[in-house]
Amino acid sequence: MSLAPGGRVVVIGGGLAGVSLAEALRAGGHGGPIAIVDREPAFTDRPPLSKAAFVDDAPIEELALLTPDRIAELGIDARHGRNAVALDAAARTVELDDGTVLPADAIVLATGGRARRLAFPGGDSPLVHTLRTYADARAIRAAAAPGARILVVGAGLIGAELASSLRAVGADVVLVDPHPVPLVPAVGGRIAGILHAMHAAHGVDVRVGGIAALEDGEHAGQADAPSRPLASRPGSADGARTPGQEDERPPLRSPGSAPVPAPGRRATAVLNDGGRIEVDAVVLGVGILPGTELAEAAGLEVDDGIVVDARFRTSVAGVYAIGDVARPRAVDGSLPRRDEHWEAARLDGEALAAILLGQEPAPRGAGWWWSDRYGVHVEGVGRMDGDGEIVLREPVDAGGGYPVAFLLAGGRLAGAVSIDEPNAVRAARRLIDQGVPVTATLLADPSSSLRDLLRAAR
Amino acid sequence: MADGIEVAKVGDIADGEGLKVSRIRTGTLDDIAVFNDGGAFFALDDTCSHEEASLSQGWVEDGTVECPLHAACFSLKDGAVLSLPATKGVAAHRVEIVGDAIVVHPAADRLA
Ligand SMILES: Cc1cc2nc3c(=O)[nH]c(=O)nc-3n(C[C@H](O)[C@H](O)[C@H](O)COP(=O)(O)OP(=O)(O)OC[C@H]3O[C@@H](n4cnc5c(N)ncnc54)[C@H](O)[C@@H]3O)c2cc1C
Ligand code: FES
Repeated sequence: MSLAPGGRVVVIGGGLAGVSLAEALRAGGHGGPIAIVDREPAFTDRPPLSKAAFVDDAPIEELALLTPDRIAELGIDARHGRNAVALDAAARTVELDDGTVLPADAIVLATGGRARRLAFPGGDSPLVHTLRTYADARAIRAAAAPGARILVVGAGLIGAELASSLRAVGADVVLVDPHPVPLVPAVGGRIAGILHAMHAAHGVDVRVGGIAALEDGEHAGQADAPSRPLASRPGSADGARTPGQEDERPPLRSPGSAPVPAPGRRATAVLNDGGRIEVDAVVLGVGILPGTELAEAAGLEVDDGIVVDARFRTSVAGVYAIGDVARPRAVDGSLPRRDEHWEAARLDGEALAAILLGQEPAPRGAGWWWSDRYGVHVEGVGRMDGDGEIVLREPVDAGGGYPVAFLLAGGRLAGAVSIDEPNAVRAARRLIDQGVPVTATLLADPSSSLRDLLRAAR
Repeated sequence: MADGIEVAKVGDIADGEGLKVSRIRTGTLDDIAVFNDGGAFFALDDTCSHEEASLSQGWVEDGTVECPLHAACFSLKDGAVLSLPATKGVAAHRVEIVGDAIVVHPAADRLA
């Protein structure tokens, strides 16, 4: 269904997906009303929250996806600081927490996700943080005074970036992950090893395992004191808890040998190998839960994300889902994992705008992402696990630089990851999307130009 | 601006590449990135408007440069921003080819 010229669009969620949709609708000439509802004080971009904006303690304005002038210019009805509390799919209305009911011709769920928490004794303590919103970043930054010791749980993309940023602001960092080398499926073994080694090289105390409990600081080190999880945060019923992937056995205490907490440390984190670490705060970087509550309550098909077809249609006519929350069904009927990367959210928004305007969306190529930490820039395209052979291109100068890793499958590129070599990935991306035949020998040869391969294919 | 600044010879910048010229040489507020896009030469302020990145290291294609960090796209012709995450454009400078010399005329409002 395409939208009538004056059709009303209500977007729930003013993250990258929702904002990209609105901008693209206007760019495509849509003149009808567009409202964006978001519970946060501004339409914010998230990647800088674990990177530069965290280190610089940047004001929220610097993270705004749209300036107030641009919102006015686009004629967007921006409902900042408002929660959408109900969606009536049949009547096609969205109800806000102030009682406003917004009627729509198309409702778009661009609700993203919230950070997953882990269930462990003390896990409800206000000292336990997650990172998804600007307010989360401010709270972690406030806890990260120079010399403060922060335990980061999870060394995936966000945990790793945050560890780097915490070091940059002078905090002591302990990083724990169940995998001795995290991110192997995402970047391949060689690059994963290089990236993980950067933590220790920057003074991070790297552990293998998970968190079992967080105990009150004043009891830490007193052999006879009962283990006491920190008081629950009042009113912290932030929805369903997912059981932690971590081992949840009770904290181990060895009477008499427990370490005395450093003065001022606020709590003791107990790891699942029994290790005890005096900390000032804990940050969980263990993934997200898609924001499916409204969709579920409205009876839409939900399965770890809002299930959509290739044209972002949910199971109910007139209701669409895009960005991190959407889980597109593949042509063979299977449900691949949700894409949780920045560019995918932007492209979803632009593609849905085209569809609503009755145009064919631009063809979607291989997914692209980046990560910045310890002064290096990592980026990747496509996949680095599954069928195929990993090919490494070693740096020309053996003393400096990093290898580029490729996944070669059936004589074509399927993925690539680089550190500080973005143009290798930009070239790989085009080679993948154009299906240009490549060989392992060419890929591995640092003197062969990927760009020339592309030119030759034109 | 009558006199431009000769920044390189035409053969110094390969197709699809950029060259960073120091602000000390150009007398401008920012360094200047000079690009060769299919034999046509363009000049922009070098620093991406998003974070700190040198556009001279970017991916040049079809009249645009893609930032080497987060891939914000800028028009080579006028520096206009074409895609997020950048929300502001960068200044463009006029380029003139004199014989085999690439001559840049810095924009008046970008002079230091
Ligand atoms: C710290 C951090 C760093 C990241 N770094 C990178 C990176 O380096 N590279 C990369 O590729 N990706 C990165 N990502 C991922 C990227 O930011 C996400 O993929 C992107 O934000 C998804 O956009 P979205 O619009 O789908 O969702 P979101 O950005 O989550 O936006 C959803 C919005 O909906 C609002 N909302 C939800 N429900 C309601 C409701 N009922 N009522 C009102 N408002 C509601 C929320 O407040 C939120 O603002 C990072 C993410 C985080 C958190
Ligand atoms: S620094 Fe250029 S896009 Fe981020």
